[in-house]
Amino acid sequence: MSETISPAPSAAPPDAEPSNRVVEALWLLVPYVVSVVLAFVVGGLIILALGQDPVAAFESVLTTSFNTRFGTVETLHKWVPILLCAYAFAIPLATGKFNIGSEGQLLVGATGGVALGILWSDLPMVILLPCVLVAGALAGALWAGIAAFLMVKFNVNEILSTVVLNFISFQVIDYVASQVWPDRGAGHPATTPVGDGALLPGIGDTPPFHSGVLLTLVLVVVIAVFMRRTATGFEMRAVGANLRAAQVHGIKTSRLAGAGLVVGGAVAGLAGSIEVAGVHGKMLEGMQSNFLILGIIVGLMARGSMLALPVVAFGIAVLEVGAGSMQRTAQVPVEMVLIIEALILLFLLLSDIVRTKLRGR
Amino acid sequence: MGEITEFLTLMIPAMVPFLLAAQGTVLSGRAGVFNVSQEGLMVLGAAIGFLVSFKVGSNTVGLFAAFAAAALFGLVLAYMTTQLRLDQFVVGLALYFAALGAAGLLYREVIGVTMAPPLIPTLDDYPIPLLSEIPFLGEVLFDHDLVVYAAFLISAGIYWFMYKTRSGLAFRSIGENPKAADSLGINVTWARTWSTVVGSGLVGVAGAYLPMVYTGLYTEGMVAGRGWLVIALAFLGGWRPHLVVAGAAFFAGMEVLALRAQVAGIGIPHQFVLMLPYVATLLVMVFAFRWARQPAFLGRNYDRESRLVG
Repeated sequence: MSETISPAPSAAPPDAEPSNRVVEALWLLVPYVVSVVLAFVVGGLIILALGQDPVAAFESVLTTSFNTRFGTVETLHKWVPILLCAYAFAIPLATGKFNIGSEGQLLVGATGGVALGILWSDLPMVILLPCVLVAGALAGALWAGIAAFLMVKFNVNEILSTVVLNFISFQVIDYVASQVWPDRGAGHPATTPVGDGALLPGIGDTPPFHSGVLLTLVLVVVIAVFMRRTATGFEMRAVGANLRAAQVHGIKTSRLAGAGLVVGGAVAGLAGSIEVAGVHGKMLEGMQSNFLILGIIVGLMARGSMLALPVVAFGIAVLEVGAGSMQRTAQVPVEMVLIIEALILLFLLLSDIVRTKLRGR
Repeated sequence: MGEITEFLTLMIPAMVPFLLAAQGTVLSGRAGVFNVSQEGLMVLGAAIGFLVSFKVGSNTVGLFAAFAAAALFGLVLAYMTTQLRLDQFVVGLALYFAALGAAGLLYREVIGVTMAPPLIPTLDDYPIPLLSEIPFLGEVLFDHDLVVYAAFLISAGIYWFMYKTRSGLAFRSIGENPKAADSLGINVTWARTWSTVVGSGLVGVAGAYLPMVYTGLYTEGMVAGRGWLVIALAFLGGWRPHLVVAGAAFFAGMEVLALRAQVAGIGIPHQFVLMLPYVATLLVMVFAFRWARQPAFLGRNYDRESRLVG
């Protein structure tokens, strides 16, 4: 089903000539650059057609993250959930499964985190904070586990089950935020704040960024090692690369695919508890933002490379933070950025065909 | 009795978005193109249908505009999967994002931020003479707006085409075994292209119907996952148009039931009542994927020069 999203042509074998490696790296990088440039050109034409100034629009899109410390912190804070939702999509995709449910997993993870953060609010940070984060990951894993169970046991298509679970999760958090621990004064469905011990400490000053950013960096390494250096990671990649071959070699493919979904759900759930512990200090409706879509976009753009994910996610975080200021300064609606992101993705897909033609194979 | 009549009278229009979008999905699916951009196309259809109706002052024009816009996205999907043979899921997802972005952009450009949201007139009911006077059945089936009748006629038409015509038989064979179909001289690319374009257009109309039937308002979350439920519905109906009608009745029934239970206030928190359609979908899919059939070549691209088929 996913022939064309097999991992991007891998880098040259270790004994290749150095110049060969450069060529291979270029074949890998140039399509990205060309796709981004083309998407911005098309986006610019649309902005022109709307009667606005594309140069001013793109200037604020691309520079907001770096002009002020506030913008930088905002970008890092967006990078965390976008990247974690991208992992939630990409890890199951390694086994050929599409997880379209990261926002549900994130919200249920946030619910798990906020529940402990409120119930045990008197506990000191050394105990409470890890509990909150782990609870988020477990809750997310459990939520994705429903889809995994239905997939392994009853052969239910995972695209559908993960999506449908999103809509159930919206009601779950609405219930928790308006019935279980409601903050009546918030004017918007939200829970009461978690205890101080549940908050991720800030780093730096005015404004600080939360330490979930560092936690995410650690996770980047852990996931890369897991996928490339462990037997399970190897088996997962084998299933995605060639299902038949993996089956012939005795890999339990369907269980492994289920496990991939559960791990993905755990990562998205962690994103939820990090949002609670680092950004909001509580759970509120709408906190999933558009992280589902952005995670999928990043996951597809990285084309199976776990190492490319953090970089691509950072680029998307920059665009997302810039989108708001573009709307304020250049009167171009924020949705323009989503269109540009979709265009980058489409051009990237097309670049495969161009590359195949150019290389004559 | 009154309660049941009322329930069914509400259920029939609620079936329409499911019916139109699912028949569109089934149409391209039987030729082997698995469109996953429905949610985006419905949002786009709702936005364009609303905006055009608002500006032009005619809901009919709005419905056709929504068809055209979504059909255009369908054309891109068809071209990229049949000619360029890119992955159907990935292209579908990319188009879903693009459609969401386009819908938001257009609404913001045309309407902007307003104090009072703009309204369009809802569709008028056209009771069918004589038939609508039959007690019970007349009220339930024959006293609705024109799109309702059209949705059922389109369903019947697709069924007739697929199962009662020679070209329909050829068409269905593409989704099962494109190589065999190709060797019989059936144009696989053309069939996949037109069915994806028309099918996507129907999904767009399904979206456009939403602001026109209940409130006359457009809101961002108004599609509320129906585009995804429609895919579940296609599987539930075994990708057969007549069974999809029955499935649409089930989905619409759940939706109406949830709304009515919420209004009636039955002691259960309304959030759990609103979960009902989605939980029911999950349960139903267990059965759908056990027993229902699906086209053997669904979601896979056909390359005439490839030796690997099947």
